[in-house]
Amino acid sequence: MDKQKLEYFKQYSEIIPNFDAFMESLEKEQPYWMRVNTLKIGEEELIERLENKGFKLEKYKNLNAYKIVVMPVKHPGATVEHSLGYYYIQDLSSMAPVLVLNPQKGEKILDMAAAPGSKTTMIAELMREGTIVANDVNFNRLKSLGGNLERLGITNVIITKKDAKSGNFGIKFDKILLDAPCSGEGTIRKNPWGFRAVNDREHKMLARSQKIMLKNASKHLKNGGIIVYSTCTFNPWENESVVEYGIENLGLKPIHFDLPIPHLKGVEEWRGERYENSEYYKRIYPHLEDTGGMFIAVLKKE
Amino acid sequence: MQFLKKNDYGKYFVDRFGIPEEIIEKYTFWVRGKRVWAFSGEFIDVKDIEVLGIKALSLGRTPKPSTAFLRVIGKYAKKNVVNLDKEKALKFLEGEDIEGNFDVEQGYVIVKSNNDILGCGLYKGSLINQIPKKYRYEDTWL
Ligand SMILES: C[S@@+](CC[C@H](N)C(=O)[O-])C[C@H]1O[C@@H](n2cnc3c(N)ncnc32)[C@H](O)[C@@H]1O
Repeated sequence: MDKQKLEYFKQYSEIIPNFDAFMESLEKEQPYWMRVNTLKIGEEELIERLENKGFKLEKYKNLNAYKIVVMPVKHPGATVEHSLGYYYIQDLSSMAPVLVLNPQKGEKILDMAAAPGSKTTMIAELMREGTIVANDVNFNRLKSLGGNLERLGITNVIITKKDAKSGNFGIKFDKILLDAPCSGEGTIRKNPWGFRAVNDREHKMLARSQKIMLKNASKHLKNGGIIVYSTCTFNPWENESVVEYGIENLGLKPIHFDLPIPHLKGVEEWRGERYENSEYYKRIYPHLEDTGGMFIAVLKKE
Repeated sequence: MQFLKKNDYGKYFVDRFGIPEEIIEKYTFWVRGKRVWAFSGEFIDVKDIEVLGIKALSLGRTPKPSTAFLRVIGKYAKKNVVNLDKEKALKFLEGEDIEGNFDVEQGYVIVKSNNDILGCGLYKGSLINQIPKKYRYEDTWL
């Protein structure tokens, strides 16, 4: 990998524990993970079919999450089974926010920045019945979202194309996922060519719009409902700082939650900012379980 | 363009494929232009809906069911279903038509192979392929 790109991450040496291992992990190729679309097929049946074709898949704990250890094709989605909508390629770290959201039958859930739908489709798979409003501003990414819903046979999603900062989503929801647009530092392993290092000013600008999105999310949340705020980046301005803004200014309360994927707690302090509630947040790092990176917080409206 | 609720379109699947009514009743059907969408959630009146569920039918001289929706409800079908062996199923997924006489009515049929619902075919003496290009088998696949 590009030395300059790696250099960029040194700014986090103080906040990422076991930093050398972290840096090493960035240079390693990231394995693919997948989950079975149990709306269409049973886990065991699909795994057997793929293994008969020469795949080697490792189930992660008791989750519907499989690490692809060996694949007989160039891309893990190059199979009839994938085309039939029997599985979805998704990094374990990206499954985490949905596990935390813990969708239940009959709920109304808003996914504010949803495309291409990795998390939307997983919400649908877990909830079985209920209603999801999946929103994004980007037309081409929305087309991928639509394609994924069709392929997986998911019929309970309403797609909208609004600005998450200001869009009106009609009602108040039981749960909201705000998987915010971010600087994407945690996806560098998956897509080293696509990764673009951003400067402080850009981080701050992203943080500003993330806060406005959180405010709009809060407006659309029922009393007693939760917002899961997630990003795939490490920068605390886009994470802890945004969530603490919600706690201080929007009347949201941080909630403790479990996560069956290895993680560490939030950052306490960075570049002069202190984060009071860091023990409520979770951070998934690439060197913990050989995945991408992810930040997750749960906020409740009382 | 607005989506207009027209649940009558659900009857098409009951009549043509013998899908049980209680399966079809899980969906509401919505028309926009020449397309009908099947939606299994609770309708939320959000302004400017882009997509509501998935495409179920295209309207023309006769309605044409979508491969995507047949893949969802096809397992409940009781008639107008063609079952292909493995080899022919692959050909069908590659986009080929399949010669042969099948015990189905003329018109749109559900094509399957064992428990895999492959999608939509048009039967008129032989089985004419209706699988959209994006679902076609490519030779780099397994
Ligand atoms: C991290 S990605 C979402 C990934 C998605 N949740 C998934 O799991 O597949 C962030 C998304 O936010 C969208 N986005 C950027 N600005 C937005 C805005 N102002 N309103 C809504 N969506 C926005 C981007 O198009 C992008 O698809």
